[in-house]
Amino acid sequence: MILRKAVVVLVLGLCLLYSPIFGQTKYTLSGTIKDSKTGEDLIGATVTIKELSNKGTAANTYGFYSLTLPAGIYQMSVQYTGYKRNIQTIKLDQSLKLNFNLSEQEKELDEVVVTAARKDENVTQTQMGLQKLDPAELKNIPVLFGEKDVLKTIQLLPGIKSAGEGSSGFNVRGGATDQNLILLDEATVYNASHLMGFFSVFNSEAIKDVAVYKGNEPAEYGGRLSSVLDVKMNDGNDKAIGVSGGIGLISSRLTVEGPIVKDKGSFIISARRTYADMFLKLSRDSNLNSARLYFYDLNAKANYRLNDKNRIFLSGYFGKDVLGLGTKFGIDWGNSTGTLRWNHLFSNQLFSNTSLIFSNYSYKININNGTEMHIISRIQDYGVKQDFQFFISDKSTLKFGFNSIYHKIIPGAITATNTSLKSLTNKYSLENAVYISHQYKISDRINAEYGSRFTLFSQLGPGDFYTYDSNGNILRTTTYRSGQSVKTYINLEPRVTLNYILNSGNSIKAAYARNVQNLHLLSNSTSGNPTDLWISSSNNVKPEISDQVSLGYYRNFSDNKYEFSTEIYYKNLQNQIDYQNGAELNFNENVESQILFGKGRAYGLEMFLKKKYGKLNGWISYTLSRTERKFDEINNGNYFPARQDRTHDISVVGIYDLTKRLTLSATWVFTTGNAVTFPTGKYQVDLKTMYYYSDRNANRMPDYHRLDLGLTWIRKKSAKFESSWTFSLYNAYGHDNAYTITFRDSEADPTKTEAVQTTLFKFVPSFSYNFKF
Amino acid sequence: MKRNIALLFSVIGLFSCQKVIQLNLNTSPTQIVIQGNVYDQAGPDTVKITNSVRFDQSNVYPAVTGAKVTISTNLGESEVLTEITSGVYITSKLPGVPGRTYTLTVVTAGQTYTSISTMPYAVKIDSIYLKNSTFGKNKEATIKFQDPANVKNYYRVIEFVNNVKQNQFNVINDKVFEGKITNYVIRGAVDKDIALKTGDKVSVWLESLDPDAYEYFRTAITDSRESATPTNPVSNINNSALGYFNACSVRKITLVIP
Repeated sequence: MILRKAVVVLVLGLCLLYSPIFGQTKYTLSGTIKDSKTGEDLIGATVTIKELSNKGTAANTYGFYSLTLPAGIYQMSVQYTGYKRNIQTIKLDQSLKLNFNLSEQEKELDEVVVTAARKDENVTQTQMGLQKLDPAELKNIPVLFGEKDVLKTIQLLPGIKSAGEGSSGFNVRGGATDQNLILLDEATVYNASHLMGFFSVFNSEAIKDVAVYKGNEPAEYGGRLSSVLDVKMNDGNDKAIGVSGGIGLISSRLTVEGPIVKDKGSFIISARRTYADMFLKLSRDSNLNSARLYFYDLNAKANYRLNDKNRIFLSGYFGKDVLGLGTKFGIDWGNSTGTLRWNHLFSNQLFSNTSLIFSNYSYKININNGTEMHIISRIQDYGVKQDFQFFISDKSTLKFGFNSIYHKIIPGAITATNTSLKSLTNKYSLENAVYISHQYKISDRINAEYGSRFTLFSQLGPGDFYTYDSNGNILRTTTYRSGQSVKTYINLEPRVTLNYILNSGNSIKAAYARNVQNLHLLSNSTSGNPTDLWISSSNNVKPEISDQVSLGYYRNFSDNKYEFSTEIYYKNLQNQIDYQNGAELNFNENVESQILFGKGRAYGLEMFLKKKYGKLNGWISYTLSRTERKFDEINNGNYFPARQDRTHDISVVGIYDLTKRLTLSATWVFTTGNAVTFPTGKYQVDLKTMYYYSDRNANRMPDYHRLDLGLTWIRKKSAKFESSWTFSLYNAYGHDNAYTITFRDSEADPTKTEAVQTTLFKFVPSFSYNFKF
Repeated sequence: MKRNIALLFSVIGLFSCQKVIQLNLNTSPTQIVIQGNVYDQAGPDTVKITNSVRFDQSNVYPAVTGAKVTISTNLGESEVLTEITSGVYITSKLPGVPGRTYTLTVVTAGQTYTSISTMPYAVKIDSIYLKNSTFGKNKEATIKFQDPANVKNYYRVIEFVNNVKQNQFNVINDKVFEGKITNYVIRGAVDKDIALKTGDKVSVWLESLDPDAYEYFRTAITDSRESATPTNPVSNINNSALGYFNACSVRKITLVIP
């Protein structure tokens, strides 16, 4: 039914799309928009035409824009937040190629800053449920250990919640942490955390653009239920060599960038290393002072413009975490990704990008108890992605393409001195998707974006595949040949967003989206382990499906100085995953027999008020939400709150420019507690005190609140050299926030039991020195 | 392995601190707790029945008295156990023989609880020796035994230090050492930071369990710290009783620290 409707809508759309082409002669304006100093593409820079009541288009991910208009004379304005506006009068009597280089605006403190950027983008754009983050915004926001971090900062935005103290894991609109698609230059990052989540894999020096889609992503994205976090790396300066870096208390970083051929190609290499274990050496405990605990990572990217129509990009990421105790035990893990891209202009209206994508996440555990033993596990992706953007007119843009990913999962293999002891069967799967999506300005007031994604997921042989009875015993074993399809799932994912502009500065948006997820992370630990296992949809595991409807109101006021938005959403979830009591998730050939399947629902209200300019800027974000799950085997089949369910969530971010060189910042967060299961009784078995649990997640952790302070002091700033100090204090008033609450026999009185709260971080100071030349 | 990872987590916890807090916990109705063992040794075998209490009560668990406790075998033998002290019921003649299937029936307060457990054949401990601990300075006792080939084995290891029974649950199966000579480190003393010294006596029991009894102890190990959603162990007794019934073979060995 839904399928037939979607097809009708799509066909109607396609008819609409070609109608404006007939009529008077039209010509195309196209080109690229870049930063004049660094040559970086300005993603989302807008091109508007005065004569069309300031309507226009925006540059795509690669800085390319294309606008098809009737012949005429137009005043054209090119603009980007924080950059000087470029206005030109053009005579359009033939198709034109116009490239723009915008220069950054100097911040003036003593006057009201008049930015030329298009300031009401959030009101006029069709997309909803989108949060964007400019890495420049990050630099003044204080974070744990002073390492500025996109994953920590997005958690201060509405609808995006931290998965735990200091964690880079996050929950979007009630989803689990594995329901976020995390992309770095189009490659999936399977584990976005370093050092158990206290750092993220994203080095902010290497990042150009961060966007989070909260379940309403355009049809070109897919594969996860809750969100897409799309991170794009810097391309590197194609004008001049530049070096920047920072030296901090527990980490240091260095970035080198420069032209390959001036104005044609550039490269960037950015590296980071932490040395948290240096402090452990001071410990007198022999276990601790021999411990290794660090990570390093490397981002590299190069691009080269072959000619006006062709450009290639090569980007890669490599990161590794090392944890170890002496020579006897160690675990290391990390991601590596690689993307090779080719931009091609078939015409000045048809833009194409082809990507070859590789991604790998693996961990290795080393145990040396006399004999050396290794346990390895890995997930690997080989993918190809083709995207077309067809800029039909100033009213209409069509996007379509396909994406194929071959997944290889090595669930676990144990080897001892080079001989294989035991290994679980490798799993293979193929994920194919085609999509089409149309952005259409129906009238001056109404914009629409609608389309669909069509996915086909197959689990492939070789190997033995099992079916299980309700007790988890093997019912039947079937053997499949290499490449033979074990199970295939076909899904249609329709998505539509409508924007109704009430007047300048006010709009209402509504959206519906279906998302399907075929890769699932099995994790039943409080904090998420690097050893958590990914499994694919299979003959036993069905794809997870979500349907989300949302409605939003957007308003800008005081000449766009303030931006306000509020959205409500309701989400229905199918085929959600939980675990049997005492499930064995690691190193279990029959891990799929340990899983329970159920459904879920999530709903909430999000509010966001941002002051964008002036001496004091920042935002307040508030989320009221609920997320619940229902499994026949849990809680007598009744709905129960999911672990990440948190009723209230408030973040306040303030950044105040004391002087031109001194910036003070503060963030304050308050959340009510997560759902958690506490004992409802106790008993004794073989002298051991046991706790009795009844209803799942019937209790709440205590409220959480925290103030962080930051100070940035620019010491020197000239065209040639810039240096600054940043200081921060995490949890500045030292509130005892509960990280975990555990239960034990009282140490003072063994005839009693007691609850113990563990607090992780209080008054954590940090500083770093940053330079750039 | 899990423990090693937990240790590494604690490294990160250098900044952390702990305090005892007061919580207002919900209370569930009293639950019955049954612990029954049948050994391949001279009796008597014991079934102990208690009740659960509220979290804020002291660790005194009321005995369930006057229950009718019966153990029978697949050969038709059957015995009604005698309550020798409050809540403790013993056998007088029922033999524990490997290969036999034992059925426990408890009738109390109008409810009937049953469980079935099949006694596996014994696995002998070949030797016990001391080695340096992987972590820390203490010594660890290690047992060596031959895992029987071509049969799935499930073990529970119980440790006594100077005749004091250590209360951790340690269970293993032979998934990764099927049919091999196996060295198994007894963690009890190390986990509690007990430094073994000359003259100390370490005794180890190696119990061979059936899969359901093994499953009880395995799922009882997972503590609330590691699991995001703590749950009750999977009991092999029906009717929502807590605890276990375990017909097992046991072999013992003792080491006096030289």
